[in-house]
Amino acid sequence: MTLFQRLSGACAGVFAAAFLLAVPAQADIKIGVIFDYTGPFAAGGSQAAAIGTKSAIDIINERGGVEGHKIIATYADAQSKSEVAINEMTRLLEQEKVDLIMGVFSSAHCVPMAQRVDQLQRFMWANVCVASSVFKDKNLKYVFRSQVHSDQFGEASCVFANENAKSRLGKEPKDLRIAIIYEDGPYGAGVASGNEATCKELGLNIVLKEGYAATSPDLSSLVTKLKRARPDVILHTGYNPDITLFLRQARELGLKWDALIGHGAGYGQIDKLRETFGKDADFIYNVDPVAAQLLDPKTLAAGLGDVTAEMVKRYKAETNAQEVPPHTSMGFNQTWIFLTDVLPRAIKKHGGFNPEALRKAALETDIPVGGTIQGYGVKFFGPGTPMAGQNERSSPVVMQYVDGATKVVWPAAIKTVDPTLPLPKGHTYAK
Amino acid sequence: MEIFDIFLLEAILNGILLGGVLALLALGLNLVFGVIDVVWICYAELVMLGMYTVYWLFAQYGVPLIPAFLLGILAVAALGALLHYLVIQPVLSSAPINQLLVTGGVLFFLQALATLVFGVEFRNIGLRLPVLEFNEMYFSFARVLAFVAALAGMVALYLFLTRTYLGTAIRAISQDRAIMPLMGVNPKKIYLITSAIGGGLAGLAACLLVLQYDVHPAIGLSFGPITFMICVMGGLGNMVGGFVAAFIFSQFISVGGFFFAIEWGYVVAFAFFILMMFVKPQGILSRRR
Repeated sequence: MTLFQRLSGACAGVFAAAFLLAVPAQADIKIGVIFDYTGPFAAGGSQAAAIGTKSAIDIINERGGVEGHKIIATYADAQSKSEVAINEMTRLLEQEKVDLIMGVFSSAHCVPMAQRVDQLQRFMWANVCVASSVFKDKNLKYVFRSQVHSDQFGEASCVFANENAKSRLGKEPKDLRIAIIYEDGPYGAGVASGNEATCKELGLNIVLKEGYAATSPDLSSLVTKLKRARPDVILHTGYNPDITLFLRQARELGLKWDALIGHGAGYGQIDKLRETFGKDADFIYNVDPVAAQLLDPKTLAAGLGDVTAEMVKRYKAETNAQEVPPHTSMGFNQTWIFLTDVLPRAIKKHGGFNPEALRKAALETDIPVGGTIQGYGVKFFGPGTPMAGQNERSSPVVMQYVDGATKVVWPAAIKTVDPTLPLPKGHTYAK
Repeated sequence: MEIFDIFLLEAILNGILLGGVLALLALGLNLVFGVIDVVWICYAELVMLGMYTVYWLFAQYGVPLIPAFLLGILAVAALGALLHYLVIQPVLSSAPINQLLVTGGVLFFLQALATLVFGVEFRNIGLRLPVLEFNEMYFSFARVLAFVAALAGMVALYLFLTRTYLGTAIRAISQDRAIMPLMGVNPKKIYLITSAIGGGLAGLAACLLVLQYDVHPAIGLSFGPITFMICVMGGLGNMVGGFVAAFIFSQFISVGGFFFAIEWGYVVAFAFFILMMFVKPQGILSRRR
């Protein structure tokens, strides 16, 4: 190498270094993450979802961020109160100047938050809340959710009951007695309305439909009414502590059933149910988006199995829990979809991460079935449709708790065991 | 479907048992207000701390249930006295709204403290009590226990207030707090003892609630407002009135919830409460002057 070449090389190096220093660093992407870290929703699944969300953000940052942009997450506690959730959202948007809002466990928070964000023409990516009423006939433009919605929860349990009526319970669907009970917030009422619509459509016999406040100190009159209505299958949507109160009072007042099908939230916390009720918690069903670790990674896109394994590892390290609840997968999965699919496209194709770019990128999302860790695909209903902003490819599963472990029993294509139906003789709640 | 059937009877009887729980909760709050003239808005949070005490002693440290109960009652009694000494006493001569606000502040403080110390998990003592069955009707053993305890607590408190020197002093100071110091009664001491007894009753309620409910930092939200309303409906400070109001309220909840939707039971109960505020604002057992 000649002296000239050496000097040229050195100069090029100096210029390159100078150029790198002169170019401003990529701007950070600020995300306001809202969950209930305190109050009754925290232990009902919100904290598990928050851990999943944070894990996804941490992993992406450890891999260098999104298109060179680091994710700066500001975590806010909604305290299980809708007014606090809205105040925190306003603070994050106006004072912390976040680029978007993410998270939210409770549908009671989600409904007003989504409308407010949309009015402000800011961007919200909802992770966990499920009420269909967040989107139904609202024509939201800047709010998106790839999570399952409550109408689908309601539908899944009725279809499951209908498919098993004759074969396992020996009854024609029209003779199958169904009771629908629910906490009367947007989440419970949304699922219950989905239950009612589908069960009626399938010709099942609805013998009772009743809501109650999640903070109610007594559910004994509801239990007595259920005893009078003699349902074969109870479809229950609740948070905690109402679910544990119901199960406790049901035992004390001698309520029996063939199947109890819960719909997420408190029913997604098998560790807690097992701790409280021991073997009585066996054979309870839970309708939820599947906990990712229960799926066979071979049925998913390449690499997603490793992502799930990392999520499980981090959750167990943080909580020392044995079972990873579905809420962790929900929080993780939605965040992962946003950070690995929507956000890169917004930056590369639409010039950044302002609400308009994010909206356009979200509307172009087209992930086939098997393309997310929870199995379902992602494509959003477009503007002008009744559910604009909601994922049209999401789907829940029906799980059953057997000896403290979670098994998938519906749909048939991905079930891991046959359902135990009706409850085996000798079980506390068996007829 | 028959209107009067075995299920209705079960709902009525369960309503009576629920009334026992609510009456027990109202007892301590009424005593404190009747004597000191201060409403402990944070009363249900004292109950929550009592539940945590029993939980930790019994489920975590293996203390047998009865000693755990006694220690729980003592702990909340001490907490009641401490609450009076640190928080109430300095504002005794302040406007009632200030007293209300300061105990409201304690409510949020205790909730936040419980969250920090105990976490947000729902905890229960894991005790499976027997179920009582009678003529095809079922009753919660824990509720029956609470009902009996409420009756016993009421009688014991009545005897204490009417048959002992200290009880007489407490009643006397509740009737005329200005003149009693001239008779040799030390009001500070009486207030402190009353607060400890009020706390002890909250502790007793905690022992019976921990048998029926999971404990978590926000459990006070389920009982606080309803307890306060019962006390107001019975006449704040009127222990017999509070006792009766608890059973009226519980029947609205239980039987109203049985005939209509559960939420309607509460709607009817609250409507009745509002009506009573117009008709008998001094409480259901007050005499027309």
